Amino acid sequence: MSTLVVEVRNVSKTFAGVEVLRDVSLSVARGQTVSILGPSGSGKSTLLRCINWLEEPDRGEISIAGQRIGIRPDGKTLMSDRELAAMRARIGMVFQSFNLWPHLSVLQNVTEAPIHVLGVPRDEAIERAERLLDKVGIAEKRDAYPYVLSGGQKQRVAIARALAMNPEVILFDEPTSALDPELVGEVLTVMRALADEGMTMVVVTHEMAFAREAADEIVFLDQGRVVERADPETFFNKPSTDRVRQFLQRYS
Amino acid sequence: MDQAAFSALLAGAWTTAWISAIAIAVGVPLGLALALLREARVPVVGHLIVLYVSLGRATPLVTLVLFIFLAAPLFGFPLDRYTAAVITLILNTAAFNAEVWRAAIRGFPREQVEAARAAGMTRPLYFRRIMLPQIWITSLPGLVNEMTFLIKASPAIAVIGIVDLTRVTNRIAAVTYEPLPPIIAAAVIYMVLISAFVRLQRRLDERAHRLTM
Repeated sequence: MSTLVVEVRNVSKTFAGVEVLRDVSLSVARGQTVSILGPSGSGKSTLLRCINWLEEPDRGEISIAGQRIGIRPDGKTLMSDRELAAMRARIGMVFQSFNLWPHLSVLQNVTEAPIHVLGVPRDEAIERAERLLDKVGIAEKRDAYPYVLSGGQKQRVAIARALAMNPEVILFDEPTSALDPELVGEVLTVMRALADEGMTMVVVTHEMAFAREAADEIVFLDQGRVVERADPETFFNKPSTDRVRQFLQRYS
Repeated sequence: MDQAAFSALLAGAWTTAWISAIAIAVGVPLGLALALLREARVPVVGHLIVLYVSLGRATPLVTLVLFIFLAAPLFGFPLDRYTAAVITLILNTAAFNAEVWRAAIRGFPREQVEAARAAGMTRPLYFRRIMLPQIWITSLPGLVNEMTFLIKASPAIAVIGIVDLTRVTNRIAAVTYEPLPPIIAAAVIYMVLISAFVRLQRRLDERAHRLTM
């Protein structure tokens, strides 16, 4: 049994004639935080969305904790809706625009999938949800509905919702890009704490400070290719490609 | 109007009410099923539904009820007039309801579906737990509209001999030679029936407020 939670091997993807991902490989070990950086349009989000098969790669393989996602063990036929759902239940995702369910209260947003997907007893799910809401600092809003929350609060609920499934890994798709600048900090604080606790995370972000401090590894994408892969220290201080130096200049 | 006229009026109102109620109770979920089937893009089924919806919306109720009542025996299953009336109203209202549901399904935010898929929900589960509770509320104004149209269009079933709330006013007038009192009474009863729906809609509108985010 490998300790690799996410394994992306030679994935390519074309959208309407444009190659968004070209032969991308990536691996994330248990407990690691990997940040995916790159200019907009470099394929970062598409790569992340391939990991839980929200996008279907054209070529290549993706495995979660050693089990291939999307394709059955025979290597040919596509997984059924039910099989895919069972795989996705082990992968958390946090979206740029939060994607909370507006008809459910904060607490219900967090308990919905544990109860109805995993079959966790209601009392247990509620207890756990309350602990998680407390952890992301939003316990007092448990009965509120999403429309009254600020962006930062919504995103913290979304993180609690992902955690409630006890996932092998959480995928973060630009989790702070839709937030007002003064709300970014509260979300990053929660994410840093998760990284410190040893949660396995893949984070697509433009927050260089977060990547530098919280990531174990940086993967830099440009035009659908992995251009550089390094630990944060090396990546930010002595990057080996001009493309990365050029990119970093705009952020310093 | 005397005692007999009043009870005739109430009997007519009851006929309108129960026939409309069955048509609504069946037509609303049937419309949803049609909308879902159409959005599922199954090749032949999709086209048949498009055809049905356009015919259902284009055919006057009087024509439809006559057709169903008179054509059914030719296909080997004669219908009594009440069954024919109920089927007509169901077919008519379901065609309109399908369009209301379809608009809500198409406008449903992709982000929420993705959040549900990412959380490991199967299609049936996210439909039941995430989509339906919301499209129900967004569709309701349109559906209530259709319900009120249905009640107001229902006098068409009198053409096959059903004595509904409108038809009964003629009968009363034929005896009393005073057409206005029963017609006014009928109008009041229609308003009461319809205002029940409008009140229901207002109650649910308050809940819809949450979904605007």
